[in-house]
Amino acid sequence: MLSPIAPVGKVFRPDSGHRSFFMYDPFSLLGLERRPLLAEERIGNAYRQLAGTLHPDQPGGDTGAFRELGEAAATLSDPSRRLRALLGNPAYSSPRIPQQASDLFLKVAWILQHSDRLTEQYAAASTSLSKALLSAPVQSLFLELNATSTLLQEWRTTLDKELVQLDLSWPSHDPDCVLELADSLAYAIRWTAQLRERKLALQGIFS
Amino acid sequence: MMIAGIDLGTTNSLIGVYESGFPTLLADSDGNRLTPSIVFYPEQENPLTGREALRHQAISPERTIVSVKRLMGRRLGELGTEFLHGKKGDAAALHVAGRVLTPEEVSSEILKKLKNIAETRLGCEVPKAVITVPAYFNDAQRAATRKAGEMAGFTVERIISEPTAAALAYGLDRLQDRSKIAVYDLGGGTFDVSILQLDNGVFQVLSTHGDTRLGGDDLDEEIAALIKRKTQVIPSSPQEDIRLLEMARSSKETLSTQESCTIRLPFLQEDKSIELTLTRAEIESVCAPIIRRTKMHCLKALEDAGVPLAELNEVILVGGSTRMPFVRNFVAEIFGKVPDLSQHPDEAVALGAIIQAAILEGTLRNVALLDVTPLSLGLETFGGLMNVIIPRNTSIPAKAGEMFTNAVAGQAGMKINVLQGERELASDNWLLGNFEIPFSPSAKGAARIGVQFSIDADGILQVLARDTKTGDEKILELTSAVEVSDEAVESMLAGSLEHALEDMDARIFTENRLKAEEMLPAVEAALVQLCNELSDEEIRQVRFYAGEVTSALESKETGRLKNALSILDNATQSLATRLIERAML
Repeated sequence: MLSPIAPVGKVFRPDSGHRSFFMYDPFSLLGLERRPLLAEERIGNAYRQLAGTLHPDQPGGDTGAFRELGEAAATLSDPSRRLRALLGNPAYSSPRIPQQASDLFLKVAWILQHSDRLTEQYAAASTSLSKALLSAPVQSLFLELNATSTLLQEWRTTLDKELVQLDLSWPSHDPDCVLELADSLAYAIRWTAQLRERKLALQGIFS
Repeated sequence: MMIAGIDLGTTNSLIGVYESGFPTLLADSDGNRLTPSIVFYPEQENPLTGREALRHQAISPERTIVSVKRLMGRRLGELGTEFLHGKKGDAAALHVAGRVLTPEEVSSEILKKLKNIAETRLGCEVPKAVITVPAYFNDAQRAATRKAGEMAGFTVERIISEPTAAALAYGLDRLQDRSKIAVYDLGGGTFDVSILQLDNGVFQVLSTHGDTRLGGDDLDEEIAALIKRKTQVIPSSPQEDIRLLEMARSSKETLSTQESCTIRLPFLQEDKSIELTLTRAEIESVCAPIIRRTKMHCLKALEDAGVPLAELNEVILVGGSTRMPFVRNFVAEIFGKVPDLSQHPDEAVALGAIIQAAILEGTLRNVALLDVTPLSLGLETFGGLMNVIIPRNTSIPAKAGEMFTNAVAGQAGMKINVLQGERELASDNWLLGNFEIPFSPSAKGAARIGVQFSIDADGILQVLARDTKTGDEKILELTSAVEVSDEAVESMLAGSLEHALEDMDARIFTENRLKAEEMLPAVEAALVQLCNELSDEEIRQVRFYAGEVTSALESKETGRLKNALSILDNATQSLATRLIERAML
């Protein structure tokens, strides 16, 4: 059975054999400065300008270069992966949940599990009466989900503030702290996406 | 090097080429640009396609295949139609006039017809094509479409997404623009929504969502059901069903411009003619639940694109079903702005395919389309979980890799299951294929296997796995995820002929038995929860109808059970409404 090594994100490019992950620097590839904070819009604009000429359909385009560009833009658009790139992509240690988020982790996991079960039951119900019977549990889970989303959002705001602080004092930094921030951001981003998806699924039941 | 652009639609298809600086659609000898996606199979002769097939549909529905696009790249167990037989997991095959046909074969007949129209019109061979598919088509469905193109004699230069194509058609005369647009594409059989960023000739798809089984066909069926309810007609043959469906469709079209219309079906049954009046409000009320299902996809697409509603510049409507005023109003409500109607609902997708063909030909410069993969790609890891390697909405071509290790000591190899989909459990996603990679047995966590996914510009995947110690590698080419062997076809044919009829009644009874077994406990639960709100009379009545279902179940009579269930279903509607209202308080 396969087992992933890294908790989140992509760490390795097998085509590079034993070499490390990045053969190129995503910042210089997109012509952007190496900083913890980068506006999404700037990354997008730089990406589109280059992608328009590198796409393989274009005369002089190149599939390999286009793929690298895509990977670079994806790396920079994700603050967690961007921080790791700034540190030269250190290897992932064993997965660990940041301490200040361990309560949040349990809440998120509980909601994911229950909303998946409820949406499945709802999909399996074939009569309007058995669907209606699920309204009350769906409604209470929805409230729970919103409460947890708020907590998660608060955590993310704290992390974003740390990111701003880091950017202000850049290039001076403590690599361990940056790595911890990168890990925390990775979890916050992933959980936000997971809760968002469940929220839409539950809303789908109401509409 | 001329490349044709083709919109291979669920109900209609179109073909065209880029001529003297403009995308141009090509018409058949009668001047029709739309070719119905219908194939008729006569007893002996070659199949008829398009308008010629349409004529046969009302007389011989059992020999006429419509909406074959809905079956492309599908496996059995995913869908039910009377043409399909075989066991769960097999590729879908159709049984028509004693032949067993794959959806690709049927589709290729439509493509041959289009090729013929183009070649007649242009007076030269048209060997290459760009074909559109719904954005939300998965790998198997795209591969099946490509195969259909090849069977029709085309070199398929590119498979592109329909809403993306529509965006090209919209943006061609706005190349200087920098804007964010949404394309809402509700066709005959599929629904897609895509969010794009236009930036100086670069068309970047930011996100896409959809449902490959939601379209105008579903609306027609709801309207046909409404007609049946209002007239108390129970169709006794497929011909009658087809006539009702046709009537449903034409009244839907009429009611897009009128408030009411009168339907006449003389001698639908020997002693029965139908005449009734339908209003726009009536058909809207039965179609609304289906159309509302598109909202969630729109919200998801916006979320994925990271585009707040306020930043969206334009919403473009394409697909025949967006002619319904209800759909237009609903879209305006979702996006908070009046949709742009500048694009021809039936032609925009084909025009976009032609534009993409011109980009590939090299005749159209300074326009680039950056399409995405609509569904996440990954593999199954320890614990049966989906590990995403390439997330959905990644621009293609793309490549990504990840390093894996062995979860168990002494393991001598790994089976790699390649998956496509958004669910966290591997088994809930679509299995694209699998392969084994051997490695020298080692302690838990000691092996190092690099897995790399590459997607080409068509969205078709190649997977490479490498043992980094030995350098051994294996490549999985996912050419077509659904292939049926000839023997499988033979046995499907034999099995279906023997059992088709006797199975029918038993299957319908089983379906209804399952429904009853779900309904009866639900009724009890609802009565308990609502005991303080219901009058004794209401409770008595619901219990009576539930008792009817129980005794119908014991009698094993299919018709009686079906009837009792439908009465109980009606009698408990008010209970369902009350339960929902209570939950919302």
